[in-house]
Amino acid sequence: METALETDQLGKRYGNTWALRDCSLHLPAGRIAALVGPNGAGKSTLLHMAVGLLRPDAGTVRVFGETPYDNTAALAEIGFVAQDTPLYRDFTAGELVTMGGKLNRRWDGTLARTRLAQLGIPPDKPVGKLSGGQRAQVALALALAKRPRLLLLDEPVASLDPLARREFLQALMGSVAESGTTVLLSSHLLADLERVCDYLIVLHGARVRLVGPVEDLVAEHRQLVGPRHGDDPIPGVASVVRASHTDRQSTLLVRTDGPIGDTSWAAHEVTLEDVILGYLADGDRPTSNEAWGVPA
Amino acid sequence: MIWLVWRQHRKQALFALAALAALAALVVPTGLTMRGAFADLGLPDCVRTLGKAGPANNETCLTAFQQFNDEYQGFLLVGILFLVLPLLVGLFWGAPLVAREVEHGTHRLVWTQGVSRRQWALAKFGLVGAATLVIAVGYGLGIGWWLGPLNSAGQRNRFDPLFFDMQGAVPVGYTLFAVALGILVGTVWPRVLPAMAGTLVGFLGLRVVLATLARPRYLPAETLTFPIQGTAVAPRETASDWVLASGVRNASGELVVRGGSIECPPNATGPGAAGCGTGLGVEPGAYNWQLYQPADRFWLFQGIETGIFVALAVLLVYLAVRRIRRIA
Repeated sequence: METALETDQLGKRYGNTWALRDCSLHLPAGRIAALVGPNGAGKSTLLHMAVGLLRPDAGTVRVFGETPYDNTAALAEIGFVAQDTPLYRDFTAGELVTMGGKLNRRWDGTLARTRLAQLGIPPDKPVGKLSGGQRAQVALALALAKRPRLLLLDEPVASLDPLARREFLQALMGSVAESGTTVLLSSHLLADLERVCDYLIVLHGARVRLVGPVEDLVAEHRQLVGPRHGDDPIPGVASVVRASHTDRQSTLLVRTDGPIGDTSWAAHEVTLEDVILGYLADGDRPTSNEAWGVPA
Repeated sequence: MIWLVWRQHRKQALFALAALAALAALVVPTGLTMRGAFADLGLPDCVRTLGKAGPANNETCLTAFQQFNDEYQGFLLVGILFLVLPLLVGLFWGAPLVAREVEHGTHRLVWTQGVSRRQWALAKFGLVGAATLVIAVGYGLGIGWWLGPLNSAGQRNRFDPLFFDMQGAVPVGYTLFAVALGILVGTVWPRVLPAMAGTLVGFLGLRVVLATLARPRYLPAETLTFPIQGTAVAPRETASDWVLASGVRNASGELVVRGGSIECPPNATGPGAAGCGTGLGVEPGAYNWQLYQPADRFWLFQGIETGIFVALAVLLVYLAVRRIRRIA
């Protein structure tokens, strides 16, 4: 299968801090992928490297086999909607579509106009005066008019109200289903992602924690409840993602590689949200009692 | 790209044209009046004979100069206000050019279309730079024309600090430099207000340093000496030399009077039949001394200073284009 986005040992450093480190992943073409992680996990950094805004400090990133940094040929294949859907606020939607036509060799202005017309967005009003949801739709229309093979969206719905969020995601899904565009969408709104995405990338603490098709991931993970558990291996369990213990009982989120052999464990199916939260939960969060001057 | 640059900056361009028109509305009528008065008073003839024959033999000329200066030297002060214009162009055209894009996040929109960042930068800087050049040339020539009569009326000459800076070719250099500095500061500090502040400080700093320390030394200054007694006329500033220092030196070359000169008529004696300047502690054998840049170096100095600022502008734009590759 063709790979839309591929990274190998990718890293980006700001000063002494790695914003993203040892990031290796494949995104097969045709997928709708969710990029999940808490703020500061490196989601935007990864997307910016994928769209060629940033140059990697380590490793490589390839989009359909091409390095995107400083490469307009690769750029033509990528549609990008940046965080907060930035647009020239004094431009009208019509002017923005014209601008796209001037700046891109491949440009489907009709597609953009048709979309915006269907959404009832006025063509001659400065986009700064539109609602947040309408602005996001304009930004999406501009990205789609490039007829990209890979569409990257950085928190596109974060600042929208629930209704606008739903409309945006519907518009997105409707249009990429027709064209077979690969989508990588970063967000921390898990419920939205569960509805639209079929592939998952979890970033946490500048590293990739989990990659794979949603179906497989959900099928592979189980919640086990059983007697207090030490460190002994459990048959059928590849790794323990997260464990919580009471005096007599342990609850584990595990990734399986076969049927659970030990009958003392009760296995429960999990939702995508459980899986994601399991990988994001941070066991050893550093405390800052000293800095606050309060007793621990 | 040209469409985009025009669309983004047409308001600024129209505003600049309006400002230029307002300036012209002030400069053209007053300039014509000034020239009329200058000619009516017969001053062009006075200027022609001035350096050679000296003013002492021409009372009418002195009176006419006096009259002209009384009436019009106020304009010189108005002219000083024009000194800020290149800076304003740098602040309002240069500083926001990249800084505003990054502040609003729109650089992520425009740099992910099908145009490379280098192309974007060259089109944007090139077109804004060309517009700046046109405006600055118009401004420099216009103010030079306007100041013409005041330059030669003796109160101030065009080589003086501030008056040198406001006419001829240097405003072009200053304006291009201010815009380039604004662009670079905007890439280093990509917020509009800090970029404007940085441009302000950088521009004023370099201008002051170059004008006070470097400009008098672009070429070695020439020295003029003349006796304190018996000269018909001292070489005059009205001849538009730029006098850097003057004074009186004694026979062994020591500077005994700082600033000014002593000019006694031939064979004149002071009270009690003392020699010329004895009251000031000047002994016989002393002579007047002047360090100056000759008037005919005006355009050469203009060229040197413009060259420095244009070269700096080119360097700054080059650095800005490099910086832009690192902004995400």
